[in-house]
Amino acid sequence: MSTGLLDPGVVRPTALARANPVAKLAVALVLAFGLLLSVDIVTAGTAVVLELALLPLAGLGALAVLRRSAVLLLAAVPVAVVSALLGVDSGAVLVDLGPISVTSGSLQTGGAIGLRVVAIALPGVVLLATTDPTDLADALAQVLHLPARFVLGALAAFRVVDVLLDEWRQLGLARRARGLGGDGLLASARDVAGRAFVLLVIAVRRAAVLATAMEARGFGAGEHQGADRTWARPSRLRPGDVVVVLVGVAVTVVSTAAGVAAGTWELVIT
Amino acid sequence: MSPLVRARGWGWRWNARRAHAVRGLDLDVEAGERVLLLGASGAGKSTVLAGVAGLLDGGPDGTGEAEGQLLLDGVPAAEARLNAVAAGRGQARTGLLLQDPQAQTVLARVGDDVAFGLENHGVPVERIWPRVEAALADVGLDLPRDHPTARLSGGQRQRLALAGVLALEPQLLLLDEPTAMLDPEGAVRLRDVVAERLTATGAGCLLVEHRVDLWVDLVDRVVVLAPGGGVLADGPTLQVLAQRGAELAAAGVWVPGHRPVPRSREGSHGVLHQNPGAATDGRLLMALEDVAVGRRGHGAAVLSAVAAQVEAGSVTAVRGANGAGKSTLALAVAGLVPPVAGRVRAGRPLVGDPAPAPSRRRWRDRRREVAPDDPARWTPRDLVARIGSVFQDPRHQFVAQTVADELAVGPRRLGLARAEVAERVEGLLERLRLDRLARANPFTLSGGEQRRLSVATALATRPRLLVLDEPTFGQDARTWVELVELLAELRDGGTAVVAATHDVELCEALADVTWWVGDGRLRVDVPARSASGR
Amino acid sequence: MSTTEKSDAPSTPRRRPAGIGATLVTAVIVVALAALVWQGPTWFSEDGVPGAAQPGPAVLTLVLGALALVGWRTAPRRSWRVVDIVVASVLGVAVGLLFTLFNLAWNPISGLLGGFAFLGAVLTGPWLLGGVVGGLVIRRPGAAVFVELVAAVVSALIGNQWGFFTVIYGLVQGLGAEVVLAVLLYRQWGLTAGLLAGLGAGAAFGVLENLVSNAALPTGFQLTYLALAAVVSGAITAGLGGWALTRALARTGALAPLASGRNAQRV
Repeated sequence: MSTGLLDPGVVRPTALARANPVAKLAVALVLAFGLLLSVDIVTAGTAVVLELALLPLAGLGALAVLRRSAVLLLAAVPVAVVSALLGVDSGAVLVDLGPISVTSGSLQTGGAIGLRVVAIALPGVVLLATTDPTDLADALAQVLHLPARFVLGALAAFRVVDVLLDEWRQLGLARRARGLGGDGLLASARDVAGRAFVLLVIAVRRAAVLATAMEARGFGAGEHQGADRTWARPSRLRPGDVVVVLVGVAVTVVSTAAGVAAGTWELVIT
Repeated sequence: MSPLVRARGWGWRWNARRAHAVRGLDLDVEAGERVLLLGASGAGKSTVLAGVAGLLDGGPDGTGEAEGQLLLDGVPAAEARLNAVAAGRGQARTGLLLQDPQAQTVLARVGDDVAFGLENHGVPVERIWPRVEAALADVGLDLPRDHPTARLSGGQRQRLALAGVLALEPQLLLLDEPTAMLDPEGAVRLRDVVAERLTATGAGCLLVEHRVDLWVDLVDRVVVLAPGGGVLADGPTLQVLAQRGAELAAAGVWVPGHRPVPRSREGSHGVLHQNPGAATDGRLLMALEDVAVGRRGHGAAVLSAVAAQVEAGSVTAVRGANGAGKSTLALAVAGLVPPVAGRVRAGRPLVGDPAPAPSRRRWRDRRREVAPDDPARWTPRDLVARIGSVFQDPRHQFVAQTVADELAVGPRRLGLARAEVAERVEGLLERLRLDRLARANPFTLSGGEQRRLSVATALATRPRLLVLDEPTFGQDARTWVELVELLAELRDGGTAVVAATHDVELCEALADVTWWVGDGRLRVDVPARSASGR
Repeated sequence: MSTTEKSDAPSTPRRRPAGIGATLVTAVIVVALAALVWQGPTWFSEDGVPGAAQPGPAVLTLVLGALALVGWRTAPRRSWRVVDIVVASVLGVAVGLLFTLFNLAWNPISGLLGGFAFLGAVLTGPWLLGGVVGGLVIRRPGAAVFVELVAAVVSALIGNQWGFFTVIYGLVQGLGAEVVLAVLLYRQWGLTAGLLAGLGAGAAFGVLENLVSNAALPTGFQLTYLALAAVVSGAITAGLGGWALTRALARTGALAPLASGRNAQRV
């Protein structure tokens, strides 16, 4: 049974969507670290605008982007509101309720924090929506040379997601059949905890069998013998991938430059 | 020249186990030989296969403790496995196929999954894909390379696992109950593929399987392991089966010509005597009225226009191919999922007299009054009092830390007095031979014990309807007989039994009514003998 | 990539270089320490104004880092077997699914109690479980980071309100638990180890959250946030909970193939 939860949402295989996953990962990381340096509305705002302008290149359907980024706003808005309410006050006081006050300064900070969350998360949305887990694993092991056993172990485990989701459903039915759950919030919470525990037990046992099956097919044996495994799906960086990374760097630099030019950019870790 | 496999005084004890799984094993297997390994449950057959595959590590950081010798071509088995990988030719010494099809798929795409072993063996990329295609063709999987493994049926999945094994051109196939979890068609198909490949490649096999009839023509030698250790019998297939048939059958092996025969009990045992009033308050427990079932949000219904009835004291077998909707229908009958259309109506004898009002009535309980005859809308408490469910995987049903607690969950839920709960638990523990395990954690039990426990938990509340999904799947002959006897006893006590199953023997032994599902429809088949009897 | 057929391999195992994992973790620890040392002084000054540098936090983190490094190099079980890797991975996936459950529950909860600014500090515990459980179950160096990271990646792949942040948080939270287990020289796996690993994960989360979301808030707020995250979400929820979960798992016999199950009660 496939739930499609992990299916990528690509509709057009554009150059960006087909870029090596490691390149897309690099873009997300560069933006994250570049933007984390400062809390200011100009830098974050510029980054968001640039990213939105580049979004069509990802080849994602509008629906896929909407679905995956709608939840993003749910995270960004509360962060912004809390910062606006409790942040360090400066400038004109707009609302004053004793300890809680909104000033033009704290309002700006709140907006900056919220925009920053969006700016950092958007490339991640694109990365996750356009990348197949198998391709990502191939790239991590072959391009970044992360330890192959761990990358492949994690990849094999990802396939178990579908199985575990099905088990989860079965566990819910089975517990109803045992007469459990259904009475109020506390009982429901206990019920979920019970299901989660059995899910873990089944997952660990399943993993032990999977490990046997994988080892029987030679997995991990090379470690002992110094023999390298080969890769049926070669993954390497191409010129296009370098361009993708450069675009990511450019977005970071341009946004930071805008912030510096506007005089709002300020290193947050002092 | 030494044999391919040579065991001398070999033994293995798993960590956290007191007893050895295998002990004092002396065994030679020549190249190309086809050997069937038999023995009672717990005789260590699977451990022998893991040992020959070179997967048991008895080192300080290993999974257990080894003794004696287990050699493959004169080299310790674990070493032989590693040497084969290091040779880089993509040729494994042995290939292991396990029971559970779901647990052996490694990757998300069919081709990648077959390529996995070749990559591990260091086969150059340009030689991988031709071998992948060949292996897929060999097992009859006519699918594109990038077909998602998530969409395979159990039988296809098992053949995919076989392809992954065969791609490595093993000299010896190690088959650990490879068909135990397949439907009859899938099992025959897999057996045929194995037979064909063994002949084509000249490889040998070491097979563990308790359904002997399916494989008996394929193997030429049978080795019987003694439960305490050592070899009980070893010789040509027919000779060993003829000499040891009765003994093997008693130990739970399905031996041709030794069909397990359930004993009929005189009257009903007190523990299971369920419904004294069954004769007086009518027989109709449940009626399905123009019912359609399917998974919500998954498009069309798998089954529709279902009209059928469940009567007290009858056994109904739900049969049909995998995916035809047997399990889904069983879930609807069990009140676990509502039908997508039509009505599942519980009869008066099933609902019983208006239940005594619970001390604290919650608003949720009032929903019952809206549709008191719709099982899907009963509270879990009402449901467990009326319908017992046994899932295909017993582990899904376990909610407590010990076997005794597990049995007490249902009765406690009914609000029974402590003495009454204790009495029911004691009775079931004894009746289902679980008393020795009362304090054990349910997850630590063997497969057969888990099955008996899951049935016992469903019976603890004395429901009038018992719904089972593949209750005999993967069970040995001994557990099978016990289940059949138990179900017969329940039926005689007035309980209705509905079982979704592939098990032909089970149906022949028990079914009064058969519901055949297929092509989106249900056909009710009432054999003459039971119809006339009632 | 090798395109030639390999000759028979040497029978003696090749010595591997010091291990990418160790190098990687060392690098990350150094970076984390640098960040802590950098931010450290501001914790003890008022309102984020750089005051007189206090050596306390800096020295503490350096000592912890050094001890963790010693633990990493001297761990009794340094190499992972296949079963360790696969169980850790599947455990990570299962925990990731539980994360998803909490992700879904988070919006209604924060909607109801959104006014409470320390909500994240006290309710993040479930998201820290991967590190504690992974460490205690697998008992190998790196297990805490690996399990928490895999769980975070699954949570992000399925899709949640935090997107790619999830992965960064997972990595940092896992490291928090990992450092503690390393300081304990990978030889303590009991309740104390669980509580401390939880504390480490909670503290790591607190520091990161202060950098990402609370950067504009007063130092007093940040310190309170950090303390609550470390104790309530970390030690109590994730530490105690993770320890109890590991013990319950061991009782089912599921951990028998692992280091945490090999000395379990024999049956």
